Amino acid sequence: MKPKGSEFMFLAWNEIRNNKLRFTLVIGVLVLISYLVFFLSGLANGLEQLNREAVDKWEADGIILTEESDLRLQQSILSKDDFDGSGVDEYTELSQLSAIASNGDKKENVYIFAVDPSSFIMPDVTEGNAFVDEGEVIADDTLKEDGFEIGDELSLSSTDETLEIVGFTDKARFNAAPVLFTDQDTLETLQYGEFAEEDSDAINAFIIRTDNLNNVEADKTLQVIDTETFIENLPGYTEQNLTLTLMIYFLFIISAVVLAIFLYVLTIQKISIFGVMKAQGISSGYLAGSVVAQTFLLSLAGVMIGLFLAVITGLFLPAAVPVAFNYIEMLIYGIILIVVSVIGALISVQTIVRIDPLKAIGG
Amino acid sequence: MAILELKKVQKTFGTGRTKVEAMKETDFEAEKGELIAVIGPSGSGKSTFLTIAGGLQTPTDGEVMINGTALADLKEKKRAALRLKEVGFVLQASNLIPYLNVGQQMQLLDKVKKGNLQKEEAKELYQSLGIDHLIRNFPKDLSGGEKQRVAIAKALYTNPSIILADEPTASLDSDRAFEVMNMLKEITKEKQTATIVVTHDTRLIDDCDKVYKITDGKMELQERVYDTL
Ligand SMILES: Nc1ncnc2c1ncn2[C@@H]1O[C@H](COP(=O)(O)OP(=O)(O)O)[C@@H](O)[C@H]1O
Ligand SMILES: [Mg+2]
Repeated sequence: MKPKGSEFMFLAWNEIRNNKLRFTLVIGVLVLISYLVFFLSGLANGLEQLNREAVDKWEADGIILTEESDLRLQQSILSKDDFDGSGVDEYTELSQLSAIASNGDKKENVYIFAVDPSSFIMPDVTEGNAFVDEGEVIADDTLKEDGFEIGDELSLSSTDETLEIVGFTDKARFNAAPVLFTDQDTLETLQYGEFAEEDSDAINAFIIRTDNLNNVEADKTLQVIDTETFIENLPGYTEQNLTLTLMIYFLFIISAVVLAIFLYVLTIQKISIFGVMKAQGISSGYLAGSVVAQTFLLSLAGVMIGLFLAVITGLFLPAAVPVAFNYIEMLIYGIILIVVSVIGALISVQTIVRIDPLKAIGG
Repeated sequence: MAILELKKVQKTFGTGRTKVEAMKETDFEAEKGELIAVIGPSGSGKSTFLTIAGGLQTPTDGEVMINGTALADLKEKKRAALRLKEVGFVLQASNLIPYLNVGQQMQLLDKVKKGNLQKEEAKELYQSLGIDHLIRNFPKDLSGGEKQRVAIAKALYTNPSIILADEPTASLDSDRAFEVMNMLKEITKEKQTATIVVTHDTRLIDDCDKVYKITDGKMELQERVYDTL
């Protein structure tokens, strides 16, 4: 008779029920590990968004920068005429400037993006109005939490010119700083002051939408890259992600090892019980199945509690902590944690198979 | 046909100076409905005999047949399955699982094997063993005698054709020991099992159909002596 999953649960569950303290400890360790995994994944996500939100908002397929720019926006200086749109569905220009903006009260490192109001990279206004007159900006709404408001007069570190917040948009941070959106003329005035040319055509990049980046025909001095590559080359972005991802992967390994050790010790303690069962003729397969079922129950409980605690913590975190939970990713990580735990249990399975019922019953 | 048969079985442990002949060449047969006692001093080879008969260890030489199947021909997995189906072990040390209550000890057997006792039959068994009020108790809450009776119930629950009991009365006072022996006898007759009881207590063997004596691994059938005072 081949036992089914529910049959394995019988031994697994009854043992847990009757050794609450022991198994609470095991679950406790799993809770801590999974909590850390979920939290780190939230942090990785949050930091990722902090860097790329504004770019994701474009829903663009690629970006055109100069060959010399080393994929850095501010190092890429080109002219509006450098690209004629051949091979793309849609394209628009982007100019940017990074600065320290102050409303007299608070200072904040910001990016100023000059966008064409009629283009697809023009952000939706979630509060207030779009910029119309020179000097008006739409700001990322995280600035609101820092005390910036509509109507605030912003002075900048690099110029005497001032800006005025006329509206807010959401999800518009770039490379860990909020973005202010304005038009090309305003940006030029900020850059060159009274010497700004009328209708200068210096920009930093073209943002493009196309089905196939290979079809884009651009000058040899330019490079066409996909949005993801552009983001990955943001200063610090890849390093940060890699660090956190690595930590998460280590935690997977740690949870497998910790659980493996725990279960191994528990199995060693139960050798004589297993031996007695084997003497009676209960198969190693059934006993191994029970240990795996037990591991599944323990890791499921640990992961669920860890998930719950992580989400609760997320609710009470100050906005300044860049934690953003991606529930699908958490689900995947949760499943991975359960799977590696079960893999960790396989060491014990080995032990069970090798138990000699004769030794255990000590005739 | 004998349900259990040992042909020229022999078991040695170790080699050279440390060599122990735990079982010298032995032929043995047990029929259904037979209650057989195996007596002998400590270290004489009783447990070795019983574990070889039950397929828990393989003989150095010779053949063990259970219900016509030669154990040597079976892989470990098949041998375990045969044990589960045909053999009920009553072990000296408590063979109860600490985290299952008495009822669950039996339920576990239902998880791994079909054809165990029906509800009513099980109830009868518990009653005759005097453990029907202990079904929800865990092993730690049972006395030595109760544990031993539960162990017997567990061995019988799978409807085995062979019962192998290794000093089942060792942890019991003499009243209880007699009671357990009587119970084994009743079961043997009623369920037509071949029951082999290993013991070093010669007072318990009066009701047995056959008595074997082991000395230094040599097994000999005892002529019955009825003149016990
Ligand atoms: N696994 C083993 N390895 C070596 N010697 C053993 C082993 N098992 C039993 N023996 C030896 O075989 C002899 C018989 O042991 P056993 O069958 O346990 O005796 P009994 O049950 O009658 O007390 C003893 O001398 C014992 O030391
Ligand atoms: Mg013994």
